Amino acid sequence: MHEVSYQGDIRLTRYLDDSGRPLGEMPDWALGEQPWVGYYQQMVLARQFDTKAISLQRTGQMGTYASLLGAEAIDVVSASLMQAEDVLVPYYRNHAMQMIRGTPISRLFLYWGGDERGNASPQMGRDLPNAVPIATQCLHTCGVATALKLRGEHQAVLTMIGDGGTSKGDFLEAINVAGAWQLPVVFIINNNQWAISVPRSKQCIAPTLAQKALGAGIRGEQVDGNDAIALHDVVGQALERARAGKGPTLIEALSYRLSDHTTADDATRYRPADELKAAWSREPVARLRNWLHGKGFWDEAREQAWQAESKQLIEAAVAEWQAMEPQPVDELYDYLYAECPSGLAEQREQARLRQQRREQRGADHD
Amino acid sequence: MTDNAITLLDAVNLALARALEEDPDVVLLGEDIGVNGGVFRATDGLQARFGERRVIDTPLAETMIAGLGVGMATQGLRPVAEIQFMGFIFPAFEHLVAHAARMRHRTRGRLSCPMVLRAPFGGGIHAPEHHSESTETLLAHIPGLRVVIPSSPARAYGLLLAAIRCDDPVVFLEPKRIYRASKTLVEDNGEALPLDTCFTLREGSDITLISWGAMIQETLMAADRLAEEDISCEVIDVATLNPIDHATLIASVHKTGRCVIIHEAPHHGGMGAEISATLSEQVLTSLQAPVRRVTGDDTVMPYYRNEQLYLPDVDDILIAVRETMEYSG
Amino acid sequence: MKYFKLPDLGEGLPEAEIVEWHVQEGDQVEADQILVSVETAKAIVEVPSPQAGVIAHLFGAAGDTIHTGEPLVEFAGGEDADTGTVVGQLSQAQNTDSQRESFIIGAAPSSRQAGRASTTPAVRSLAQRLGVSLETLRGSGPGGRITAADVERAADMDQSFGAPEPLKGVRKQMAKAMAQSRAEVVPVTLCEDADIDHWPEGTDITMRLVQAVAAACAAVPVLNVWFDGQQLARRQHSRIDLGVAVDTEQGLFVPVLRDIGNRSRDDLRDGLNHLRADVKARSIPPAEMQGATITLSNFGTLAGRYASPVIVPPQVAIVGAGVIRRQPVAVGDDVRVHGVMPLSLTFDHRAATGGEAARFMQALIQSLSE
Repeated sequence: MHEVSYQGDIRLTRYLDDSGRPLGEMPDWALGEQPWVGYYQQMVLARQFDTKAISLQRTGQMGTYASLLGAEAIDVVSASLMQAEDVLVPYYRNHAMQMIRGTPISRLFLYWGGDERGNASPQMGRDLPNAVPIATQCLHTCGVATALKLRGEHQAVLTMIGDGGTSKGDFLEAINVAGAWQLPVVFIINNNQWAISVPRSKQCIAPTLAQKALGAGIRGEQVDGNDAIALHDVVGQALERARAGKGPTLIEALSYRLSDHTTADDATRYRPADELKAAWSREPVARLRNWLHGKGFWDEAREQAWQAESKQLIEAAVAEWQAMEPQPVDELYDYLYAECPSGLAEQREQARLRQQRREQRGADHD
Repeated sequence: MTDNAITLLDAVNLALARALEEDPDVVLLGEDIGVNGGVFRATDGLQARFGERRVIDTPLAETMIAGLGVGMATQGLRPVAEIQFMGFIFPAFEHLVAHAARMRHRTRGRLSCPMVLRAPFGGGIHAPEHHSESTETLLAHIPGLRVVIPSSPARAYGLLLAAIRCDDPVVFLEPKRIYRASKTLVEDNGEALPLDTCFTLREGSDITLISWGAMIQETLMAADRLAEEDISCEVIDVATLNPIDHATLIASVHKTGRCVIIHEAPHHGGMGAEISATLSEQVLTSLQAPVRRVTGDDTVMPYYRNEQLYLPDVDDILIAVRETMEYSG
Repeated sequence: MKYFKLPDLGEGLPEAEIVEWHVQEGDQVEADQILVSVETAKAIVEVPSPQAGVIAHLFGAAGDTIHTGEPLVEFAGGEDADTGTVVGQLSQAQNTDSQRESFIIGAAPSSRQAGRASTTPAVRSLAQRLGVSLETLRGSGPGGRITAADVERAADMDQSFGAPEPLKGVRKQMAKAMAQSRAEVVPVTLCEDADIDHWPEGTDITMRLVQAVAAACAAVPVLNVWFDGQQLARRQHSRIDLGVAVDTEQGLFVPVLRDIGNRSRDDLRDGLNHLRADVKARSIPPAEMQGATITLSNFGTLAGRYASPVIVPPQVAIVGAGVIRRQPVAVGDDVRVHGVMPLSLTFDHRAATGGEAARFMQALIQSLSE
């Protein structure tokens, strides 16, 4: 005879519809001005940063950049709910999270401008730098969480990953050990439907990505990733659970990648323009704006003023970044080991001479 | 059939198309290779032409890609797997080292692993971190694993065909910096080049310059400049880093008595060291000067703003050659 | 391009509202022609076409919001501008250099045959310290390698007996040529005497010899050939170019007297004098010492009766003439004292028979007896 040994379900949380109107009775905590106006302002700032970064790449002032267009709500709400002593373990699209947690915007440009000092901002505290090899950040998250747990710290570790990344072994190993060891982590999947050119449907046949949590024995749920209010609810609770020692959560935030994968990619090669257009109609920034307008917490005048202020902040950051001289070649050696081995002294010297020679050649050609 | 001037990338595409057409057991798999034609367009048009069963867009997982390749190969398919960048090949290492390289050996030939794993490698394209790696030595060190690196369109075509037809596992590393850097006439005649042979690109008498991959470009430029100084350089493209055709290198250095090896990968333990050690064992008595290496430094590949500080250039080669020619012991 | 996407309007925000389209689907447009007016938060912006082409599709209608990067217009038949990468920039070929690549599979031909005197760096450096010249050494190591022991032995020898003098110039040539001859040629020497008592006083002996050789070559041409020991072939010469051995302090020179069969005695004498003078002045060009078809060595001015002179390939014969001496000869049944010239003929038995050589000698004697 058969019996059911386990049955699980995956809950989806939404408060606002595609246009930012309430789906039903709104809870009391959602009815005030804050933190929503604050979220909105950060989302607008994030989008300004993003637009600027793309523009810098297009005009040849910066190298390849991975846009966060469409992920503003996920990034801003999650970062805002983290405490200073929580640890962020980002992937490579979390620039807005780094910004909100205190990294100067000029440092963000520094990283994307091909300079390691972009990872060295003191304001990053003990957060890890961007992770480019996919899903590797998930295991690091578990390692960080293990350290916190061993030391008896009651903080949370938060990481993010794309829908494509959930196909990787690292991700599956991470949620497994997070469950086995009850680690204080929050995994957020930014399911933006695309892994470069591979659609969500080709990554996994499961109807939700959140249900991979069931395989790991941890809590898993979905949230509308373009709904700042829903994110506030779900991510907030997950962080609290983690800090309280109640274990990990896997959150699948449903969203859409409104940009190309990177500035070098061209999504028109593989995805229909209609799909993109439809996704714009559900985008997170307009939705929250509409909600705030409806509640009277925001208006056109404040919008103009904030746009102008954001623009200034971004421009100032660009200027600060562009004024920075490139690192001298010594820095390649200074940070290789705690102390540079004596055996590398000659190579370092040769590298200096080589740089001088090349600069001289460059000067000769001017 | 095309017979016109094409890039190294086009040559890869041509060879893949040829292999798919000739042999129904050839199957391509990798991330973004089907609909998108590969992030560098190496597999452009192939899924449209050969279908989804033979050109497969996989989920995002490099360990999986390599492991699938091993499994498919043991059952007689000839999988050509793509790892999007060499910087992301490390999860695939386990399957390459623990399985692909030794499948024939540990089954005493009952099973073998005729898979090809392609990956773009090397720096110089102004890319974000992890996209500019040159860790070919780690792979070439593995017995049983062939490592092949083309340096021109014709050699890319001939060597990739050879790799696919080869019954051993081959890692085929494509120097992305020169993917589109030049065009030459390549005939789509299905002819493979030999896999365990170096290629002599210039015959010379004063000094042997040994290199592979994108650095062949700088090496040839240096040879041209040195010819103007009446130094006759023999330029050899190693092409297959495992197993290495030492005989060609030995014959050349025996003739010239001088040698400079050039590679982008870091100095310490780079394949230049293997070649240098072999030369010292085999042609010591012909050497007029120590074998020199012009290489990347023993540091992490810098982020792109300082990328050029790391990559060796033509001047570095010229200096090493002149010092070698002037060496009197 | 296929898709023209809304460019960055410089406002810092990606949104704009379509106000009015200025073109329709199906229209042919020019580059820079205004396609659409859009309104941003700040102003109304006119968006120009990036290229000439036919509009296949317009994305969006008046009142719709559109964003930077979203497709605005689709052009008919266009190929999308493709960076061809997902990170960084790849440099494109500047020239379509329709060259076929040329490269050698494996080692270059010159590498396959290379040989070189070998020794290790340590021995090289020892030789330098001891002042021993490596060129003068023969190695006793494997494959002829020069060992440290070789160098030390040579240093001892130099100390006891003085440093060896490496051969140079013609002496070096001679050493090499003679060794090569020994290796290749199968020499047989035939000796005979010529009774030249009847020669008048003041006879030009060398010229008589030269003309005798010419006569002998005419009679037995097979000794005036070049022989190729590898191919086993011979090349018959109709012309006789005679190498004449000239002894000097520097060593042996063998200038060539050309076409001796067709020149007068005086002309030949003149020619030989010129050659001798050039040799003495050390101004003889190398060309004058090449191409001999047969050689004459007249050591009669010095000492020696018979000899087995050395043939230099590809020649097959050399005539040697010794000191003329007065000696008893039989004239009929009587004994007289006559002037007699001893002759030696060395021939390469690979190329000529004993009979041919003997007949050649006969002809020589005949000519000298006239």
